[in-house]
Amino acid sequence: MLSLTTGLVPLVLAGLLGWTGSVKLFDRDTVRRAPRTALARMLRSSERAALVLRGVGAVELLLAAGLTAVPANPLPGTATAVLGAGFLGYLGYGRALAPESSCGCSASEDTPITWRAFARAAVVLAGGATAAVAHGTWWSTITGRPGGSLVFLAVAAAVLVALSADLDRWWLLPLRRLRLRVFGHPLLGGEAGDHVPVAASVELLERSLAWQTASPVVRSGLLDHWEEDGWRFLLYSGVYGRGERARPVSVVFALDAAVGRDTPGDPVVRVGLVDADTGEPVARELLNAVPPRRALPMVG
Amino acid sequence: MTYRQNGDGGLGRRRFLTTAALGGATIVGATALGGIDADAAFAAEPSLDPAIPESSFVEGRITAITGSVLQVAGSYGDHSRVQMTNATSVWKVRPTTAAEIEVGDGLYARGVPMPDGTVAADAVWVNIVNLDTTIRGIAKDRLHLSHGQHEIVGRVRPDTTNASYAGRALTPDLSRLRIGQSAQVLGAWRPSDNSVDVVRVSVGH
Repeated sequence: MLSLTTGLVPLVLAGLLGWTGSVKLFDRDTVRRAPRTALARMLRSSERAALVLRGVGAVELLLAAGLTAVPANPLPGTATAVLGAGFLGYLGYGRALAPESSCGCSASEDTPITWRAFARAAVVLAGGATAAVAHGTWWSTITGRPGGSLVFLAVAAAVLVALSADLDRWWLLPLRRLRLRVFGHPLLGGEAGDHVPVAASVELLERSLAWQTASPVVRSGLLDHWEEDGWRFLLYSGVYGRGERARPVSVVFALDAAVGRDTPGDPVVRVGLVDADTGEPVARELLNAVPPRRALPMVG
Repeated sequence: MTYRQNGDGGLGRRRFLTTAALGGATIVGATALGGIDADAAFAAEPSLDPAIPESSFVEGRITAITGSVLQVAGSYGDHSRVQMTNATSVWKVRPTTAAEIEVGDGLYARGVPMPDGTVAADAVWVNIVNLDTTIRGIAKDRLHLSHGQHEIVGRVRPDTTNASYAGRALTPDLSRLRIGQSAQVLGAWRPSDNSVDVVRVSVGH
């Protein structure tokens, strides 16, 4: 197992560095994304950040080529370990300096610096150190133990993909969608059924003529609500009258508890205004003077 | 004894108000005018209503609660004192009472400036957030949301979370939410674990 690991680690690292390096070096979006990276904050210039990202990409590609071509040579492995240590230092600095910014790890996605970015950099460091002390070549390992090599490479690729937040949309979201399709929608069939939520009644009220009539009096948001005999009651507080005659009032609306904004027909709302201290009804004439206003019929 | 002393929110008071509403005027008709509830916390424009001439607006984090006065540190270094009254509405996930407000909570308040420098609050919205998100995962009790570069856990509460599909009325049916959809989420931020209690999720708007 140990020889398998030391033999194949250079190949795995070459794959990872080849991918991230080519994205950094050749992707046109590197320039566009550079300003959002922690590097840009660190260097105080997005042009310099883009240049550094492209440079790091070139170094990564060079190391990938070295790890592929001369895996037994300790130089590419050592250089990769140094690069991994540099990544870790950069991530730590970036996390402290600008936790909101993108890590620019593969520069292909605006993913913030998370534990996964640290884990991937640690893998590069550990892998580089392993490759530096490896003596065999990856092609002799593959030809010697093809089955084990295939499994190892598959597991290593899976781990690296799982550690790359920018690849989530290619596997995590489809996996979650598949789970919904196979096991059903987890939010299906609550006990709510056709129940009209209080928020829907409030929405209906706020689009009603009753609300338009009473809203100059209403000062608060929804204070309380309850249901009785198929009615839903919504309570607000307010002030009625001006200056010396201003009185604190309770404004209570009653609506059909089963009716929402999508129910056809005009909303029927009952409104009561009572003095908050004495409980006497007030402003009856104000409310009774409102003529009914029918909505224009809708086509369809 | 006034009816208000009949126990705040108590059965007697509700019964009284039930009678007052059903005995009041019946008004039939719809209008396109908006409301002043939760969404109003985000209304940048002051009310044009002449009946609310001098409303002022306070936002920030609650640093201390002294009796019925909330000390609020604003986002721009300002400080305010918000006076709660028994006519103040409190929203924290749902309409609730001032007893639910805690130090450390975020707050939006609308009220009337008093001569002593406090703001007598008409309405207070606690920890309210309105986020433009993408749904990244759906589970039985939570939604995984991405908002810019932030990953947010949206807690689904069976009695509270509602959805609106393509501008239609709010419904408790959340089964039409899909992974990958853009969703406008109105909810209450939880300072303890940085998750959001989802109150309303609007998709296809």
